[in-house]
Amino acid sequence: MTRTSSLPPPGDIVVRLRDVSKTYLLGAVAVPGLHELSLEIGRATFSVIVGPSGSGKTTLLNLIGGIDRPSAGTVEVAGQDLGGLGDDRRSDFRARNIGFIFQSFNLIPVLSAYENVEYPLLLTRVAAAERRRRVMALLDAVGIGDQSRRRPNQMSGGQRQRVAIARALVKDPVLVLADEPTANLDSRTGAQIIALMHAMQTRCRTSFVVSSHDPQVMEQADETFTIRDGALIDRHCRATS
Amino acid sequence: MTTLVIAWRNIFRNRRRSALTLLAIVVGAVAVLLFGGFVTSILFGLQTNTVRAIGHLQVFRQGYFEFGAGKPGAYGIKDYARVLRLIRDDAALQPLIRVLTPTLQVFGIAGNFAENTSRTFYGRALIPSDRLRMWAWDGLGIGNTSLRQLAMSDDDRDGGVIGVGLARILHECAALKVLNCTDGPSEADVSPDLPAEDFSSLIEIDPPASSGAAVDRRPKIDLLAATVAGAPNVVTLQLNGVERQGAKELDDNYVLMHLDLGQRLLYGRGEHQVTGLVIQLHHSSDVAGARRELRRLFAAQGLDLDVRDYTELNPFYLQVIAMFGAIFGFLAVIMGVIVLFTVVNTMSMSVMERTAEIGTIRALGLRRSGVRRLFLAEGLVLGVLSASLGLLVGLGLSFLVNRAGLTWTPPTSVDPVPLRVMVAGNPLLLAGCWFGLVALSALSSLLPANKAARLEVVDALRHG
Repeated sequence: MTRTSSLPPPGDIVVRLRDVSKTYLLGAVAVPGLHELSLEIGRATFSVIVGPSGSGKTTLLNLIGGIDRPSAGTVEVAGQDLGGLGDDRRSDFRARNIGFIFQSFNLIPVLSAYENVEYPLLLTRVAAAERRRRVMALLDAVGIGDQSRRRPNQMSGGQRQRVAIARALVKDPVLVLADEPTANLDSRTGAQIIALMHAMQTRCRTSFVVSSHDPQVMEQADETFTIRDGALIDRHCRATS
Repeated sequence: MTTLVIAWRNIFRNRRRSALTLLAIVVGAVAVLLFGGFVTSILFGLQTNTVRAIGHLQVFRQGYFEFGAGKPGAYGIKDYARVLRLIRDDAALQPLIRVLTPTLQVFGIAGNFAENTSRTFYGRALIPSDRLRMWAWDGLGIGNTSLRQLAMSDDDRDGGVIGVGLARILHECAALKVLNCTDGPSEADVSPDLPAEDFSSLIEIDPPASSGAAVDRRPKIDLLAATVAGAPNVVTLQLNGVERQGAKELDDNYVLMHLDLGQRLLYGRGEHQVTGLVIQLHHSSDVAGARRELRRLFAAQGLDLDVRDYTELNPFYLQVIAMFGAIFGFLAVIMGVIVLFTVVNTMSMSVMERTAEIGTIRALGLRRSGVRRLFLAEGLVLGVLSASLGLLVGLGLSFLVNRAGLTWTPPTSVDPVPLRVMVAGNPLLLAGCWFGLVALSALSSLLPANKAARLEVVDALRHG
């Protein structure tokens, strides 16, 4: 059953999935990940995907992020059908349009906080002066401007996730995907990170799609998608006042 | 921040593993450098000794090189003084030539009739001062440590030296006061049934010296050979000393005499000729050019002469080069394989440990080629670091070895020579070793780099 309230207008759709299925092969056994799932996510929204473990949340994020391919159906991000792109062009598309925030932060250990945030801009060949301006602005915005020279192993979990948020936003993407971003943090730090993500989403006018079990995350959601056994069973939009 | 900077930092991420890899490559570099330096020293020494002894080029009559050993006199160069003049006056050859000197090869029987002993000999006749100048050649800069003293002079036309083995056989050791040399038993003791005389009857016994003439009291032997006309001829060689030869076969036959004496033996009262003209150049690199110019000159003058270089005259030279080349190649391949497996292992471990990181940078938008480039850069940086370190260590060790005062006796040589490892001042070896190791290291990382590049993003991220 899908509950819908205030669907986004067609021009404001950032993510559109049509009848997307994903099946994994474990040896000779086909394991369904997603089954004919369709959904749309509006521009500049904070969307949360909820569901029990193994329901397909991460698979759904991977497909939206273009780091995995569906077995059937189409995935469109910012009007681009990802299925029509080759590997290099999908990499380029991700480099320009999609930011990632991982559960384990996934910062590059040999790079400082500054360099980690700068890295996506190097991939898109942004000029050095512009890189510096954007990196410092974002590090300040996420509250770790004074930690820019530190390596990830010299930072706390919360600080690392702040760096990851800055890294995801530095290229000014149309979409940020966050897979269980608070799972490795204590509840207090997790709450701070969620608040930061939401604040940054509002400030940057970027769409966030977050998978989480965390009720604190769900409280912030503009839209909540509930999936179970690879199927979308509920969509809830927060009523705008 | 470039790929190389990231690669540099990743190398120091697992310090112990990188240090071991570095050490393996450094050891490989040092082994190749020291052995290469030693081989270079041997080859330089061999070339220097060869060029000092027989020159860079020799001019013969056509056919002498193939058939002259059987009858050298028959292949004499007539009017060789004119040929010498032609070569000396040639504008293209003049600046290249250091020594130009005639030589004569003689085969025959050497005898000490007073001791009733004889044997066949191989003789070289030359101009002593030219030979001394040739021994001073040091075109490869190895020094004059083995510079010989020659117990002959241009004025002493009857004097010469013989091999220690021949001195022993001809019972001249005691007379010449040769160390570690004992006169052999007489033929009468060894084979009492043999007739006592050989060619001593051909020798005109010198009359007693008149009161006014100085008596030459040097030990002497008699040399018998067939003249060009086929008649037996004998001359007396006054012995000034011995010259030990590296090979026993040569040492038992060797006679070195003045050119004039050799010509008297081989040509008697006929026109004195030579069997060869020895040319020593300032630089070995000029051999091909000088040879070309000589051929042009001979063709223009209608001279029936052939030119051979020292590698043809001394096949042993190329054989030694080939042998050491094979040994060096074998060692280099072994070291290369060790380096290859070490780098492959290190980089594979690195890929395995950094799988999640590879997934992350791929998710951020790095192409597969970027991942491949990153790991290739790590192999390259590892190669540059270790090859540079290996060169420094190799240079340091070679410096120590060269100053340790060690000596060794090369094959066919008589005297021990300093053990030298020519690494410094050997740009080909240094550059070859450095570039070889860097290329090998980068090449070795290709396999792990491809493996990293082929990883699927979602699979790689699951390793986190």
